[in-house]
Amino acid sequence: MTTQKPLELILARNLMSALSTPAFLVDEGGVLVFYNEAAGALLGKRFEELGTVGAEEWGSLFGPFDKDGEPIPYDELPLVVAVRNGRPAHADFEISSADGARHQVEVSAFPILTAHGSQGAIAVFWPAGSSNGAGS
Amino acid sequence: MKVKLWGTRGSIPSPGPETIRYGGNTSCVGVTLSDGSLLALDAGTGIRSLGLGLAAEPARLHILLTHLHLDHIQGLVFFAPAFRAQTEIVIWGPASPEASLRDRIARYISAPLSPVEVRELPCDVSFRHCPQTEWEIGSARISAASVAHRGPTLGYRIDDGDSSLAYIPDHEPALGADLDALEEDWISGLGLARDASLLIHDGQYADAEYPDHIGWGHSSLSHSLSFARRANAQRTVLFHHDPMHSDERLDQLGAEARERWVALGGAEGGIEMAIERSEYELPAHAASAASAS
Repeated sequence: MTTQKPLELILARNLMSALSTPAFLVDEGGVLVFYNEAAGALLGKRFEELGTVGAEEWGSLFGPFDKDGEPIPYDELPLVVAVRNGRPAHADFEISSADGARHQVEVSAFPILTAHGSQGAIAVFWPAGSSNGAGS
Repeated sequence: MKVKLWGTRGSIPSPGPETIRYGGNTSCVGVTLSDGSLLALDAGTGIRSLGLGLAAEPARLHILLTHLHLDHIQGLVFFAPAFRAQTEIVIWGPASPEASLRDRIARYISAPLSPVEVRELPCDVSFRHCPQTEWEIGSARISAASVAHRGPTLGYRIDDGDSSLAYIPDHEPALGADLDALEEDWISGLGLARDASLLIHDGQYADAEYPDHIGWGHSSLSHSLSFARRANAQRTVLFHHDPMHSDERLDQLGAEARERWVALGGAEGGIEMAIERSEYELPAHAASAASAS
């Protein structure tokens, strides 16, 4: 018998696929298991081109950088805080897309907690100054 | 493993001359394992007839609930073995962060909805949350997984010898998803149904009905066909008929299902509509497909 992803991740991916807000999904181990088309547009690379990315590897895909231009440690990223600590996290930072362009974003992440414990986390990226978060 | 459909209807009992062939009782499937152990999958109104057919002797049986919507538990207080002191009943179901399985079922088996309370049942009844890992009942290995429906809902897989039964009666795997394009592990329920000898799956809506019921937790015919094709089950039974579907309408949907199944490359006889009291024998040692009577 094959196993399915936790239902909560399946439903999260289905919802994220329908959103025009850039969104990222990691599993309980911190592996990046999906990001949507809007996130792909922001990064300059579609998820289908990249596939899943291991924990501690995906952070370098897009920087990120603090207001002084310094790389932000992986452990401090909102998505990592959410999945490790089981609480929401928020941050402002700059990311770089595949073509080298820099984007200022606000990021909110929250854990996916279920009857069986944490199943992962979702992060939503909002382009700074955007009123609706759509596109980039 | 022997399988008998005691209730094939979804949502609400639908007795009457227009549903007499496919049946009007709500979800219940009886399973007799190769070692004689008895299981009931769901406890809709069909379980009343299942219970009437069981001998009044000491017995142990397991009821595996997919979820607690009324059409899946309504028969519990009319299940004759529950009113015999010598019967041991183990009720399995989904966990919920809100309350225990016993407390959630007690909301139905209590006043004013029921004349009896759980504590008054003469049988030895216990309640267990389904584990996330495989477990054993009699000669079978049981697996449960959360599936896309409304509220905490499970699908089940029962492996007994070389045969396997997958039971996912309430399921909307295509909600926001393309079943033909997604990777297998991203499809709700597919792991349970993979290569099953017999798949009993939600078939509530015709394609034309689905747009008015998106998010209600059930499948259209196209979704059921796509899911069954991806699952590669030997035989699929479309179950949980909409209460508005008469025998005549189910005949039409069955003909459409068979035609489209073959057009998709499926085997003749590989898909059918669930008929109340139908029986299937799944041989403990495979090589032959499920036979029905």
